[in-house]
Amino acid sequence: MEDVFPRVAFTVLGGIPVRDTVVSTWIMMAVVVGLVFVARRYNPALLEMLVDFLSDTISDALGRPAEPYLPFLGALAVFVTAANVIGVLPFVVSPTRGINTPLALALVVFFSVHYFGMRTKGVFGYLKSLATPIFLLPLEIVGQVSRTFSLTLRLFGNILSTELVVAVIFALVPLFAPLPLIGFSMFTGLLQAYIFTTLAAVYISAGLGDPEQKNERRS
Amino acid sequence: MANIEPGVLVTIITIIVSSVGIVLGTIVPALVEGRAVLKALEGMTRQPQVASQLRTTLLVSMALLESTAIYVLLIILVLLFANPLLDRFF
Repeated sequence: MEDVFPRVAFTVLGGIPVRDTVVSTWIMMAVVVGLVFVARRYNPALLEMLVDFLSDTISDALGRPAEPYLPFLGALAVFVTAANVIGVLPFVVSPTRGINTPLALALVVFFSVHYFGMRTKGVFGYLKSLATPIFLLPLEIVGQVSRTFSLTLRLFGNILSTELVVAVIFALVPLFAPLPLIGFSMFTGLLQAYIFTTLAAVYISAGLGDPEQKNERRS
Repeated sequence: MANIEPGVLVTIITIIVSSVGIVLGTIVPALVEGRAVLKALEGMTRQPQVASQLRTTLLVSMALLESTAIYVLLIILVLLFANPLLDRFF
């Protein structure tokens, strides 16, 4: 059971602990980059299909063309998917099993919402749109902070809970019984990656404002 | 009751409270998510042309509903594996 929680793999620079989630993040990055190079060499249509799928999904969630936001949100989707699924390899744990990786991803989403909002509306326009009825500004701040934490805890809790269930079944019946649950945990990981990306896209589109008004103004 | 050590008592109470809490904390979100899926499916069968839009909204709202169960689970995990009250007795 204790294997589920992150351990310190080694320490660098005299006392800075590096956990096994970080080490498996490096392994995951190497695996993803290697897979991309193999796919580019032998079957480039696969990568086009992936990009088209991500673009369709993200533009559905955004409610506008996905092109300016596709590099960020697509990379987020690929990272979270690979991080949730990489735990099935032996000696590699899911990086999202510790709370640090989901917190880092949610903080990136938090800052990117404001960055994209300021890039679209300008700094003062975006700040003004945040505080349009001035008495709703505290609620807005609370909402921004709490949804960052809810993004973190949702990803972390889902991955940790499915891995705990697998660990409990493994402690009871070690042979063949955990296999369906491992499949279920992979499915949960894919679903959580989809939900994480969709929620990030929804938050970004909420920070950008209403797309229909923009289209009417243009036409 | 008087001759149980305080640490053992805290452990027993923690286990009982965790079981009751996880049961109650998963029943309510499951029921509410079922209602959400029911309504979304009714809407999809009535108007199939907005099905994809409904699916996105359904998944996002189900994630938000699911997070309450996840909060309960995290509190239970903290109680079971990193109980802050046990340090006062040991």
